[in-house]
Amino acid sequence: MTATSVAAPLAGTGLAARRALRAARIRGIAFVLLSLAALYFASGSFDTPAKFSAWIHEQGGEAAVLETRVGVLWIVAAGASAVIAILQFIRGATFPWRRWLLVVLAPWIVALLADLLAGKPAILTNVIAGSFEQATPIAMAAMAGILSERSGMFNIALEGKMLIGAFTAAVASSLVFIATGNPLLATLVGIAMAMVVGGLTGLLLAWLGIRHRVNQIIAGTVINIGALGITSFIFLRVLQHNTQYNAPPSVKPFSLPFLSDLPVIGPILFSAKPYVYVGYILVIVLTYMIYRTRWGLRLRASGEKPAAAGTVGINVLRIRYRALILAGLISGLAGSYLSLAAGGSFQMDMTAGKGYIGLAAVIFGSWHPIGAFLAALVFGFADTTQSLLNVLGVGVAPQILASVPYVVTIVVVAGVVGRVRGPAAAGQPYEQG
Amino acid sequence: MKRVTSLLRRSAIPILSVVTGLLFGAVVIALTDFDSLSLITTDPARALFWVETIDGNTVFSGAIGGVVNAYGALLAGAFGDPGRIVTAFQTGNPTDIARAIRPITETLVSTMPLIFTGLGVAISFRAGMFNIGGGGQLMLGALGATITAIALAGKVPAPVILVVAIGASALAGGFWGLIPGFLKARTGAHEVITTIMLNLIGSLVVFFALRNEFLRKAGGTAPVSKNLTPIVDVPNIIDLPGLRLDYGFVVALLMAVAVSWLLFRTTKGFELRAAGFNLTAARYAGMSAGGSMMVAMTLSGALAGLGGGFMVIGTVGQLTPDLSGNIGFTAIALALLAGLRPSGVVIAALLFGALTQGGKLMGVQSGIPFELLSFIMALVIMFVAAPDLVRGMWRIKTKVPKETDPTPASKAATPV
Repeated sequence: MTATSVAAPLAGTGLAARRALRAARIRGIAFVLLSLAALYFASGSFDTPAKFSAWIHEQGGEAAVLETRVGVLWIVAAGASAVIAILQFIRGATFPWRRWLLVVLAPWIVALLADLLAGKPAILTNVIAGSFEQATPIAMAAMAGILSERSGMFNIALEGKMLIGAFTAAVASSLVFIATGNPLLATLVGIAMAMVVGGLTGLLLAWLGIRHRVNQIIAGTVINIGALGITSFIFLRVLQHNTQYNAPPSVKPFSLPFLSDLPVIGPILFSAKPYVYVGYILVIVLTYMIYRTRWGLRLRASGEKPAAAGTVGINVLRIRYRALILAGLISGLAGSYLSLAAGGSFQMDMTAGKGYIGLAAVIFGSWHPIGAFLAALVFGFADTTQSLLNVLGVGVAPQILASVPYVVTIVVVAGVVGRVRGPAAAGQPYEQG
Repeated sequence: MKRVTSLLRRSAIPILSVVTGLLFGAVVIALTDFDSLSLITTDPARALFWVETIDGNTVFSGAIGGVVNAYGALLAGAFGDPGRIVTAFQTGNPTDIARAIRPITETLVSTMPLIFTGLGVAISFRAGMFNIGGGGQLMLGALGATITAIALAGKVPAPVILVVAIGASALAGGFWGLIPGFLKARTGAHEVITTIMLNLIGSLVVFFALRNEFLRKAGGTAPVSKNLTPIVDVPNIIDLPGLRLDYGFVVALLMAVAVSWLLFRTTKGFELRAAGFNLTAARYAGMSAGGSMMVAMTLSGALAGLGGGFMVIGTVGQLTPDLSGNIGFTAIALALLAGLRPSGVVIAALLFGALTQGGKLMGVQSGIPFELLSFIMALVIMFVAAPDLVRGMWRIKTKVPKETDPTPASKAATPV
């Protein structure tokens, strides 16, 4: 231990520097423990075969196959952890460990997955493409969350807005399909109506929070409870006995021309349901809008320092109203994914916490659209592997697997993976003079 | 006299909020009655409101008649039939008396966990912490009591099991509340997110625990625990067949007194409230803000846990994954309705207990789904939180200055 403290360059000699050094040592020890754990797992399941494959051109066609042993994967994970541990000990507090964390986590996740599969083959294309699909509603909810929080409004109502969106989309789409028989028109009207209703709910949240200065968390809770109550009520009272009003045409996957012909990547990224592409576009557009336009600068200003923004003549309240309505439109779209693309019909409480997970993705991705999208992918991956392992009947209790995303969320929010800072004025009412 | 008028003025908004919520609920019931409303062009009277006498019974129909039926069932389910109660007491037959007063005792049974959880929410909100995790804390408390009761069954006398199980429920719930409090104090993790996640994890933990043969009911794979009533049972208040109201309710009332004393008569309570009103000022005055957060959240979780504990070893008698139902959210609604006062929590819990109990009969008798109450509850929270809406709707002119909102949580800035 003394050797490391000599070798570690000290940024200063103050209390903060000593704390940072101590934290660095704790991290180093943690990486060593990870390495030892990986070796232990390797000894337990060394000879179990591991087989991963990926479709090259199309589902069920030619496949690229990786065949190895679980033990080998664990040793790779152990080696990666050991290297990071050594780097951490040598470089002490100055080691940019967050960037290197992925080097540890990626082989760990692969080895863990292979271990849990216990010799059963897994198709990576389906796992990754599934992760993107599962991530789409979470990512969209996260985009809505970023918009509201960047404008200074805390938005826990994403869950309720998605639920209302899912409900409206299913009913509107079913009604139009009954009337016209045109599935495309039905879907489009369903999505549009979901967005309109989501936007109106966003307006309600803004009106309660800004006009009536209701605490934004309480206002959000009102919308979440109310949305769950009214959608379940109408589902039980009307839709259950009239199933034709809850049978929307489902959204089918759509292969993008040219892009879907790319080997390996095509079947993963570009043969998905159209929602996934809308998700990509949304992330790119929002990143540009927030960081490269005047509107984005004003949005960020009203979330960080509304008083200063007001002084230079920005109408902070109007910006917040608009941001919340826009966020409502996006959450309505995210909700419509659940009933039109994922489920095929509306079910009670079908969001099941996805809105809250989206909110966690906002924090995980430090209020940046691309970061939040990556965070949503992590949650999507957890979802997909969980259902894959469930289907294969792997000997882990499904409850443990199901709780992983929630535990990860707490760990992330608690700042174990590095502290993140949100918009300074989020959640605080602003009085316009 | 002055006290009475001030009490009236203070309770005007909560009462009108509930009334308005119920009115909106009535509108929703009427608007979703498509069978009646489809007659509107041919027979408007039958579509809207129609009274007729069939076999000597007065029967309401039509959209508005449906509302009368639904809310009538709600009232009957919550309070029973007064005529029947009087006749039962005149005859003096214990079975009749038990049947007649059962709706009232069942209302109190529903009220019991609501008081515990509502008090917990009130404490945490007073300290500026948005504890959305009442449901999860209640589940963990119930789990703690269940494990203790089954583990100790037959080894020690039942009264000992009772005390230990109740203690375990408070500890388990308190621990589940301490986690977000600790994380907020140490790392600034927002308690809304962490408590929501802990709710989801809590129900998974209970599901997971109920996979175990040790807890699970023998014969079958359904995730329900063994019946705890033969092992330990909180004594009943009224010893009549079919009634399950027990001394857990009395403990809940005592807890309300204790919480009131803690919040308004002790230094710790003052510190909690100070942290809720103005964290910076409390820190400046030398109080430990992090300590207050952890104490408030632990107490809050322990109270919710007690509610769960008294349910599994008393009124409900076994642990099921849906034990908490929507008690967690109801507790938020009633704590806000009560203005975060412990005495108000008891009254509001009685109201919501009556709604919960009446809602069940409403569901059975008039086919109005119980979920309508969630919607009404959301409206009630909204009206309480935005009193201008109610004042506008009922044209109340007020001389009360605007800054009478006793909800420190509604003032506390809550940056993420």
